[in-house]
Amino acid sequence: MKKMLQRLKLAANPRSVAIVGASPTQNKIGNVVLRNFLDAKFPGKVYPVNPKHTEMYGLKCYAKVSDIPGSVDCVIIATPAETVPGVVEDCAAKKAGGVLILSGGFEEVGRTDLAQRIKEIADANGMPVVGPNCLGIYNPYSKLDSVFLPTYKLERPKPGNIAFITQSGAVGSTVMDLAAFYGLGFSKFISYGNSTVLDESDYLEFLMQDKETEIIILYLEGAKDGRRLLEAMKKVNRVKPIIALKAGRGMGGQAAARSHTGNIAGSYLAYQAAFKQAKVTEAEGISEVFDIVKIFDQPKTAGNRVGVITNGGGMGVLTADAIESEGLALAQFSKETEAELKKILPAYGNVANPLDLVADAGVEAYEKALNLLLKDPGVDALVVVVLLQTPPIDERIIHVLAAAAGNGKKPIATISVGGTYTESYRKVLESKGVPSYNSPRAAVKAMERFITYSKYCAELGKK
Amino acid sequence: MTLVEDFALLEKHGFTLLPYRLAKSEKEAVGAAKKIGYPVALKIVSPEIEHKTDVGGVKVNIRNDESLALAYRDIVQSAAGKKIDGVLVQKMARKGVELIIGGKKDPQFGHMMVLGLGGIYVEIFRDVSARICPLVGSDVEEMVSELKSHPLLEGARGKKPVNKKALQQLILKACNFMQKEDIKEMDLNPVVFDDQGCDIVDARFSR
Repeated sequence: MKKMLQRLKLAANPRSVAIVGASPTQNKIGNVVLRNFLDAKFPGKVYPVNPKHTEMYGLKCYAKVSDIPGSVDCVIIATPAETVPGVVEDCAAKKAGGVLILSGGFEEVGRTDLAQRIKEIADANGMPVVGPNCLGIYNPYSKLDSVFLPTYKLERPKPGNIAFITQSGAVGSTVMDLAAFYGLGFSKFISYGNSTVLDESDYLEFLMQDKETEIIILYLEGAKDGRRLLEAMKKVNRVKPIIALKAGRGMGGQAAARSHTGNIAGSYLAYQAAFKQAKVTEAEGISEVFDIVKIFDQPKTAGNRVGVITNGGGMGVLTADAIESEGLALAQFSKETEAELKKILPAYGNVANPLDLVADAGVEAYEKALNLLLKDPGVDALVVVVLLQTPPIDERIIHVLAAAAGNGKKPIATISVGGTYTESYRKVLESKGVPSYNSPRAAVKAMERFITYSKYCAELGKK
Repeated sequence: MTLVEDFALLEKHGFTLLPYRLAKSEKEAVGAAKKIGYPVALKIVSPEIEHKTDVGGVKVNIRNDESLALAYRDIVQSAAGKKIDGVLVQKMARKGVELIIGGKKDPQFGHMMVLGLGGIYVEIFRDVSARICPLVGSDVEEMVSELKSHPLLEGARGKKPVNKKALQQLILKACNFMQKEDIKEMDLNPVVFDDQGCDIVDARFSR
């Protein structure tokens, strides 16, 4: 397995790619994938493989992988299921780095015989195989992109530090599109489908070693081997945080209605238990994955005392409510901080936490208040409400928040609630690495998850 | 396996059960109660009855020979027409917080333990927490604190908190038992806890 993961590193960062089933016909999978490489100006070699053609988009087309003269780091297969074992065998003979099988028609339709043959070839040759029945890998660093959804319909995220492992291609691709929309950067996207050869535990181990990856999102329907997954999560999560989204949770709910605890232990309860044991952060839906993942870039803190700044009293109260219900605490500002804060506030203002700068507050007041709370040793984390609708707030707030979010000492979440104008600001904030939320609850929930993980890391004795 | 054999296996694995005896007649029941000491509970033991309470097969808080004789007749009557192994005479449990400790062999993760509060908490609020075996002490602490109803275990309304050490030991023991005997499903339900310790009132498991 170690050898396979070594080779997966090569296949996921290829300098030469063969596309079996490449096609000149628009909208065919083999066409979309080939054009991904051409459009992205893939810096390495691209080899279309299709016995019916000799040339495609000005590239020489080969009849089979073993006909290609040079080495092949990664082979993408998009031909009918029946043909795939033969192609995989040819890849093994060619000593290709690894194989991504996009084609469906294996275990999911009862053709375990085909899947079994693929597994035997892969195991015998130590050759990593991703899939089948998946979208394969997107790696913005090496420009590997086997996702057969056209880029004009599904945007690709910029390079970043988030890796995303997904069993489902549909969920995976939509999350990728959303990540691109919100300006989040990906290190690797791995859609692994049937997990015939490599499964989620292998990908976790692979990403633990991946130098571009710092945060891992895991979308899971059912693990191939639960025990192994638990061990892999324990091992990886202490080095790089894992945010898990488990689908198919309904069974547990039904089982929980029964009176015997034996029956209550439906399988989702087991997953939940495993996530908790590995200290993996569980998200409850796609939007929560985004809420959580974007704050994990912030500096860790082992404390739970939150300082709140707002320019709208009501939003401060909602934030304070969320802080209480999530089990965090409102920080008590130091005497020095309080004295300095008094100077910023208008005469009728009140120094308290939440700190209400009131609607008259300009960008300067935010800047000063942020700096004071960042310095106050009694404040572990900051939640900053900025209602962008007030007259004195202008675009300079972006730089102030970005500077604060990049302070490197305390985690910050910002909240801006509103319509079109506010949302356009939020997009800019996110692209500058400022965790921005459109509701107090979402912000505080994400902060709580992050503080919980930070505490776990602190207990492990690392920063 | 019969109930008594089940109990015996649990005792072999170090579980302390409430003192019990299986009586096959009214006379035997009275003798058993005398040995165990009042108050006692009577429970029908029949392979054909799963929910003993539902058929009137359980009588609790029996304080003397006279009540015991009457209760015995009622219970046997409740099982008329069914195969009966006997009537279990069991020491009454302490008063306290009723917990359910369950175990299951999950097809994916293998043996796991589940903790919940007895009665309506499990059935209506689905308030349970779980961990995959093997467990360590801190897992049990987390299981307790994850229960929404955990203030009840901490001694709400002037009551003393339940004995956490006993709880921890029992869950770890149950986890061990599940793995050693490769149990498919297990249910210690209820186990009554107070600040001193706990009483396992009923236990069942299947392989």
